[in-house]
Amino acid sequence: MASLPLAPATSPASRLSRAAGRGRRKTLTAYLFLTPFLVLFCVFVVAPIITGLWVSLHDWNPLLPRQPFVGLQNYIELFTPGSLTSGDFWESMRATAIFTIASVPFLLVVPFALAVLLHQKLKGGTVFRAIFFAPYVLGVAVIGVIWKFLLDPQSGTLNKVLGAMGLPDSIPWTVDVPWVWISLVGVTVWWTMGFNTVILLAGMQGIGSELYDAAAVDGAGVWRKLTGVTLPGLRPVFMFITTTSILASANMFGQSFLITAGAPGDESRTAIMYIADQGLKQSQMGAASAMSYILFACLAVISVINFRLQRERS
Amino acid sequence: MRRMMRSAVVATAALLAAATLGACSGGSSGGSTDAGSGDYKGPKVTVAFWNGFTGGNALQLVPKLIDQFNSEHPNIVVKSSPMQWDDLDAKMPLALKAGKGPDLAVAHGEDVATYAAQGLVLPADKTVKTLGYSEDDFPTSVLASGRYDGHQYGLPWSVTPLGLFINRTALSEAGLDPNTAPTDAASTKQALEALKAAGRQGEWVSGYRYNDGLEFESLLWQFGGDLFSKDLTKPTFNSDAGVQALTYMTDKIKDGYSPPNVAEGGTLKAFITGDSAFSWQGVWSTSDPALQGVDWTATAVPLIGTQRAVRTGSTDWMFMRNKNQDKNKTAAAVTFVQWMNAHSLDWASTGELPALNSVREDPELLQKYPKLAPFIGELPYARYYPAKPGIGAVIKLITPGIDEAMLGKKTPKQALDDAAVQAEQLLKRNESQYGG
Amino acid sequence: MASVPLALPHRQTSRRKIGTQVALYLALVMIALVILTPLVWVLLTSFKTNFAAINDPTNPLPLPFTTDAYSTLLGSSEQPIFRWFLNSLVAATLQTVLVLVTASLGAYALARLEFVGKRIVFGCIVGTLFVPPVILLIPNYLIVQNLGWLDTIWAITVPHAAGAFGIFFLRQFFVNLPVALEEAARIDGAGEFRIFLQIVLPLSRPALATLAVLTFLANWNDFLWPLYVLLSPENLTLQPGLSILQGAYGSTYYPVIMAGAVIAAVPVLVIFTVAQRQVVESVANAGLKG
Repeated sequence: MASLPLAPATSPASRLSRAAGRGRRKTLTAYLFLTPFLVLFCVFVVAPIITGLWVSLHDWNPLLPRQPFVGLQNYIELFTPGSLTSGDFWESMRATAIFTIASVPFLLVVPFALAVLLHQKLKGGTVFRAIFFAPYVLGVAVIGVIWKFLLDPQSGTLNKVLGAMGLPDSIPWTVDVPWVWISLVGVTVWWTMGFNTVILLAGMQGIGSELYDAAAVDGAGVWRKLTGVTLPGLRPVFMFITTTSILASANMFGQSFLITAGAPGDESRTAIMYIADQGLKQSQMGAASAMSYILFACLAVISVINFRLQRERS
Repeated sequence: MRRMMRSAVVATAALLAAATLGACSGGSSGGSTDAGSGDYKGPKVTVAFWNGFTGGNALQLVPKLIDQFNSEHPNIVVKSSPMQWDDLDAKMPLALKAGKGPDLAVAHGEDVATYAAQGLVLPADKTVKTLGYSEDDFPTSVLASGRYDGHQYGLPWSVTPLGLFINRTALSEAGLDPNTAPTDAASTKQALEALKAAGRQGEWVSGYRYNDGLEFESLLWQFGGDLFSKDLTKPTFNSDAGVQALTYMTDKIKDGYSPPNVAEGGTLKAFITGDSAFSWQGVWSTSDPALQGVDWTATAVPLIGTQRAVRTGSTDWMFMRNKNQDKNKTAAAVTFVQWMNAHSLDWASTGELPALNSVREDPELLQKYPKLAPFIGELPYARYYPAKPGIGAVIKLITPGIDEAMLGKKTPKQALDDAAVQAEQLLKRNESQYGG
Repeated sequence: MASVPLALPHRQTSRRKIGTQVALYLALVMIALVILTPLVWVLLTSFKTNFAAINDPTNPLPLPFTTDAYSTLLGSSEQPIFRWFLNSLVAATLQTVLVLVTASLGAYALARLEFVGKRIVFGCIVGTLFVPPVILLIPNYLIVQNLGWLDTIWAITVPHAAGAFGIFFLRQFFVNLPVALEEAARIDGAGEFRIFLQIVLPLSRPALATLAVLTFLANWNDFLWPLYVLLSPENLTLQPGLSILQGAYGSTYYPVIMAGAVIAAVPVLVIFTVAQRQVVESVANAGLKG
């Protein structure tokens, strides 16, 4: 960018304005590149964030002629014990929390174990890798209808097979706690473990073999290599999949919707299920918007804590 | 420049927000043009028809009727979209609001008033007049439940009581007479004890809306209770009668007549496999193809409480008011409904009872569908849900309570009381949103 | 390698090695069975009669064997499952193209061009990276409704193409590309668009492939949003379609529902088998670069 020291044919002032002109052209070019994205971004991300706040300040039932402004009433109601929505809403937040806390460790540990297995460079490893990943491409609805059938407490295959092996044959997989949580977590791990596995595997393959060799020279066994080389080397990858797994679990909808339908009572109805039900089925869009902002606030706090923790460790 | 950019973004967002809000808060009620009457003679149209006819064998039989209609009417194509009633309730209102809903729908009788209050249905006074319907042509209160604010919005189509389904093989295997059905609490208990002695849990119960919720309501009425106060402002299903009704159901588990934790649809499946011998099921299940391999029969539900009563659903035709509703499509929909009305005897093949008395009482119906006789016999004491805007959502609040009681998480009293607290609040909100 | 005098211990270690290998394979096969058995079970159930599926769920063999479930499903104009499959394919492809085009253009500007307001724009985009989709659910429904997009393919492709992930992901990649080639092109007088098209894009093929696969899978898996914004049976995609199917056929028609799951699953599994290396490696990339 350094301009050649030519003869000062132009005055400093005009040079300045030319530079400004070039800058303006550059800015214009940049925004031309950005326009297609920014249009979508403003219409479907920025505008909704603002609109959602606005809607949450109203008694917004789109089927009625008026949507009266109610101020913070929708939020206040959610924090008033005994109000129409507060009990159900916090029960659904609890469901989301239980599912997230119960599922995320398995979504990290199981794929890690699989990745270690696949990392042994066995023949046919890619075939197994593909098999482990396969359920993920089927989509949540296929997974949901399949497992609703297999997990049915009375006529489901799983209980019948358990019974045939002399084990308890009447476990209420889809009907009662804690079994519904075990089912939902199990199905989710079964469905998505391949995703985190391939990411972790790629991370392991990215760790230089010289590190392992050095550890071997130091006399490290399998376990020491794992904790001394593999785990530290995977830290950034773990940070990535922890974050994505927390977000995915906190947004769980399809599994509960299709497999337990919220049972028992409404105990496994997740926050998103309840928000969708209130907003799009019961047409209480104001209350539903308020709920989604509270959920957002909770997730934001968790994200910040997660980042802090991960950063401290590294 | 930077500031300009920022304000441009904010302005765009604000503009969009305003557009969203403005368009949404437009009034909903246009002129109340009637659905009208008569034969549609206009250009070829497609009538979108949404319904919840999914139980029993309806999924196979409804398309056949519609195909017949379509071939007889070259200028009308009726396109049926069957989905679970819950899915239908979830999608239809907002779809209509956006002009993407059906032209014709079948809804539960108790929901007609809600749709009408939301301005989503066209009045059908003329259609009713053309068809010559009056109160006496239907079971009590069925036509009235389709009225709202002085207009007829719903045309009654079918009524669907529960009955006691009996697996005869299961009874024979337990050494019981397959031709003797229990008629009251005592004979039910006797039969269930005998079955239990023979190692069979005779009557399964669970806590789900379809069938189980309906059994609770039947029992509530049998014990002399009701869902709501007369003016529909307070829930009363948690009365002593309600507690008795729910306790009767939870006792089935306690006494060992039903396993605990039965899943949705589990009562019907156990009945089909013969794991249970009795089951309270809706009349629509009579056409379930899975029953073909079963030696079964059905009778009226036994008298468990103090007075005869059985929960009965009703369905109504509604001519929907989409944003910019096409008049031709509505006219074609009316033609279709009139045709269906003339063919409603065949509707019984889906396992639903035609609402029109004249059709139901036609001897040909029972000749063709003899299994429906006990259900028709129940109609004099059939009980229906009340009609009021928003009432359907209130009734649905009872189900999780029943589920919790059936799973033993709460006592029947506690479960019903908790549900009632919520129900009362929702009734209040309905009042404020729809007016009294 | 060949150390003859140590033949004995060598054989020992190799025997131990074989032992470990067998154990590893055993573990892998067990896990593969856990994944494959339910899928095979579903396939077999789809050939049962309704009665057999309820009455004898432990018998893996479909006896009597029947294709009734498939003829029920395929004969139904109300549950057009092949149409759903096609819709899913078209929607996922369309959203992928949209994301690739808009995100790569925008990411180029953010990575390579200096301009006024860059930090603000980038900050806004990154700021929404962690906004959970639920925030957008209700307002986007209103916006899509006002655009007249309910029950159209636009509703299930355009709004989700606006997310910040794609542009953020590509920017990270573009920033790390060597500048030498670009500078040379610039000296040759190439415009920004030509540089973008002829130099940056070809160099970014792996990143673009990763983004394409992730976007495609996300759209393919999307359930909640299409469940509410799609209405007519012929416009549904597979995920909400199957949910409606399960609701409609209920608990006594298991073979039909399982047949639906099979029809939904087989083509994807075939495509995946063919392209598994690309798919898996793309996903693996996401973790390393994201």
